[in-house]
Amino acid sequence: MHIMEGFLPVGHAVGWFAASTPFVVAGGVSLRRILRKAPETRLNLAAAGAFAFVLSALKLPSVTGSCSHPTGVGLGAVIFGPSVMAVLGTIILLFQALLLAHGGLTTLGANVFSMAIVGPWTSFAIWKALRGLGASIAISVFFAAALGDIATYATTAMQLAFAYPDSETGFVGALVKFGGIFAVTQIPLAIAEGLLTVVALNALSGRAGQANEVAVLSGEAR
Amino acid sequence: MSPIDREAHLNRWRQKPLVEKLLLALGMMLLALALKPWPAAALITAVMTGATLIGARVSPRVWLACATAPLGFLTVGVVSLVLRIELNGVSLAPGGIEAAGSLAARSAAGVTCLLFLALTTPTCDLLAGARRVGVPAEIIEVALLMYRFLFILADEVSAMDAAQAARLGHASKGRRLRSLGLVAANLLPRALDRARRMEIGLAARGWRGEMRVLSDRPGTTLRGVSEVAAVLCATAFLGIFA
Repeated sequence: MHIMEGFLPVGHAVGWFAASTPFVVAGGVSLRRILRKAPETRLNLAAAGAFAFVLSALKLPSVTGSCSHPTGVGLGAVIFGPSVMAVLGTIILLFQALLLAHGGLTTLGANVFSMAIVGPWTSFAIWKALRGLGASIAISVFFAAALGDIATYATTAMQLAFAYPDSETGFVGALVKFGGIFAVTQIPLAIAEGLLTVVALNALSGRAGQANEVAVLSGEAR
Repeated sequence: MSPIDREAHLNRWRQKPLVEKLLLALGMMLLALALKPWPAAALITAVMTGATLIGARVSPRVWLACATAPLGFLTVGVVSLVLRIELNGVSLAPGGIEAAGSLAARSAAGVTCLLFLALTTPTCDLLAGARRVGVPAEIIEVALLMYRFLFILADEVSAMDAAQAARLGHASKGRRLRSLGLVAANLLPRALDRARRMEIGLAARGWRGEMRVLSDRPGTTLRGVSEVAAVLCATAFLGIFA
């Protein structure tokens, strides 16, 4: 769920931009290095970014009937690695604001922080950890995608609670309120996205030759 | 796939200089955040809606569809500001209605500014502008290529979706999820395949990793910028003193 335009006060909007910038710049620097070495990579990256954008515009069947789109966070982080996802995610969020009126420009910093930084890093860490512990690919992908989703929404709830603390109970009270609303709508969605990502990666790895392409791409990106 | 993109290319202000449109939209956005919601937000909402619908002649139906999309999110924010959770239940928060009202007003003003920019200025123009202010060319090129790919991929997705629907792929929730997974899994290799074909085509033409595109947009005029500046100053003045 993207924070809409005009929702955050000035200080918060600026603060989240400042928090996101180092990650995006670092991702941009590593992306530039990759592109200098192999200019043709940019076509693959652009295709992957467009894929993530189109995926995020699809509708997921949801239990609560809320507006539900897959975030693609888990899939992107597992395939491309989190540092490149920061840059690709920023471009995708910008396109979502400009082409779908979803999200916003002043809230871009906050949305980048939750969806292009916290989500992918969480997914990536869980993927690596579970694979390291010897879990199967399906289990690792499911938890990486689902928990990455939940981490994204938890971050959004935290951002909103920071901006609009409860008049009496303060930050914690507001976090409970926003978190409660999000939990109802987003936990089923996170589970759906986890299952979707497993289906997608299963089908991907079943395609001979193409799986190699993905492996090459992830090797370059990390 | 995106009615917003179509409007952005066909509206009456398409040929206006980028700087003027950007200055108006971002300036108003910042004023909406910085000034008190009443009367500034109402004023900004009115001015930007007028500029979009009357000035640029954007289709009101498209505008309305985009403007009402974030209502769900706004409802979550407003409800959580109005209500207060206590140990013995839920009650109205003191001053909550007022806070929720000003939040709604400010968000509405922000959305009209965003819609003005999105509906009058194609994304490729904005990316060209970003290149001029020093965003690294490599990043801009990835973004431009992405912009090019996404319409092609969106067409493929809608074809796949129609094919699945015709084969009862949407009959139940479980099937829908499976169908969507298959779409995602089939789309990524296709996207990468398309990228590879484009790369071969470009390499055959001696591409060295740079794309130069002719841009015939009119330059910024002093008159246009001063008009926008006058509107911004008037809004700020009325917002502060009215």
